[in-house]
Amino acid sequence: MADELKTGAMNVFVDIAWGQWISSGFLLVLGIVLGSLAARSVSKVMAKRSSRHHTVMVRRLVFYVIFLLFGVAALREAGFSLDVVLGAAGILTVAIGFASQTSASNMISGLFLLVEKPFEIGDFIEVEAIMGEVVGIDMLSVKLRTRDNLYVRIPNETLIKTPVINRSRFPIRRIDLSVGIAYAEDVEKVENLLMELAEKNPVCLEEPKAFVLVSAFGPSSVDLQFSFWVPKDKVLEGKSGMLVAVKNALDKEGIEIPFPHSSIYAGSHSEPFRVQLLGLEKNIEKEVLDADKES
Amino acid sequence: MDNETDSRRDGNWAQPYEFVSGQTQYHRLGHVRLWVTLLDKEWQVRSETRAPETDPVGWTESIGHQLPHENVSLQRFIREGDSSTITFIPAVANLPTVIRPYHPLTIPGGARCTIYVGTVVWMKVCAGKSQTLLTEVPLAVPSLTWVGRNTMEGELCYSSSSFGRLLLEAVPKRPWRAVTPVTIINRQAEPLLLERFSLPTPILSLHQNERGQLWTPGVVVEAATDMNSASLHVDEGLLTAAGPCKQVAPAREKVARGRLVRAFDRVFG
Repeated sequence: MADELKTGAMNVFVDIAWGQWISSGFLLVLGIVLGSLAARSVSKVMAKRSSRHHTVMVRRLVFYVIFLLFGVAALREAGFSLDVVLGAAGILTVAIGFASQTSASNMISGLFLLVEKPFEIGDFIEVEAIMGEVVGIDMLSVKLRTRDNLYVRIPNETLIKTPVINRSRFPIRRIDLSVGIAYAEDVEKVENLLMELAEKNPVCLEEPKAFVLVSAFGPSSVDLQFSFWVPKDKVLEGKSGMLVAVKNALDKEGIEIPFPHSSIYAGSHSEPFRVQLLGLEKNIEKEVLDADKES
Repeated sequence: MDNETDSRRDGNWAQPYEFVSGQTQYHRLGHVRLWVTLLDKEWQVRSETRAPETDPVGWTESIGHQLPHENVSLQRFIREGDSSTITFIPAVANLPTVIRPYHPLTIPGGARCTIYVGTVVWMKVCAGKSQTLLTEVPLAVPSLTWVGRNTMEGELCYSSSSFGRLLLEAVPKRPWRAVTPVTIINRQAEPLLLERFSLPTPILSLHQNERGQLWTPGVVVEAATDMNSASLHVDEGLLTAAGPCKQVAPAREKVARGRLVRAFDRVFG
């Protein structure tokens, strides 16, 4: 009985067409190696002539096409008929589809993102209060690198569903600064002063022209909106530099930038507030710390 | 530096200057002050741009051993072998330059005119016989502007205000400015109001005449009849008034064809 089992097991072991399996495995490995080699050389050629976004896309495409071809060849070599495999895949898709709804939806969203192309690799985007540079667009997600150097993975589905702000699509950007001045100050003088600053600042573009608007009479200041245009790569520098320049210029001219202050008014008919002056506070000796007590 | 007034000479483009280790060459060129120092193993370049208070005219250089204050920005470069020469090569702006006459000029329909514009050049500091580029110094702080139909389509350009001079004699010749004659031909029936004009500086080469002045080949702009496009074309030769010239710097960008056709609003704003 034991011998029969042993010979049976041996027969199963011997009956497997090892040669076929090894050659199909070899084909798969060859596919990976050739695919990555071809992808790398294509990306090298493209890197000089094309944008990073297109290079990465073409590199992936080349790799997947070559790998798929070798994969199909490997399946054939192993003795699978392609029709059967595809049929089985059809049935499997239904089963897997239910199980992996999220992944499938992300994959389809990814396809739409590729077609619509709202941003490219290297663009600076903002999604749901996360701001960062796009470092990768993959099948399931988009990877961002934030300004403080965090790696953030955003599912493609989120990008399809929520508004995405692309901060580097257009070559120039407008910066709006809010400047408050005291009610006693001459608004026109401040307007001229701000326009002069925009003219002097090398980062600030001459056209489209900078402008100043009075936006509101605030609780403690007249609020001005000072808008000017800068190249997209000079936004931080432009904003900070201009704020410093505005502060310096207003200080130099003796123009007050007010901070909120409140007056307490008791009304004409009511009694005045009763104010009591207290004597100087006595120095209250603190308790000695436990650590000091011991010493 | 005032005690070195005696040794002050005029600076020259494309002329190799010989250095001895430890020496510093001091340049006063427009609003820019430049110090180039040779040490045993390295080159040091310090530059500073002064506030434009007065209108300087010349370019002087002197040799000495004095260095400026520490807060002047310093760049260091490894000295290749025993190279001991420095050459200053001028370079045109790397972006187109928008010329804006202080007072707009009207060109009647079918007429043509030539205006002379001066554009700022960059100074390339090159070391050794092979003229290895060390650094590039702008000889004026150019302000940027946007040229295009709207804020989505267009290009960034440098901006330069000009008097839109029609007489060559009236154009001030400065060592840090290159003169370009621009011929504008208005083929339209309506008059063309010239408020601004985008000069494609990166495709112009630089030439120096015997008096040390910088010139670029002339540019001819034709405003086409359909109001939508303007064609640009760079002359082969230089203006005869410039006298015999030698090329000191090639254009930054090569143009495949001799003629550029651009959207009207990319040229005239």
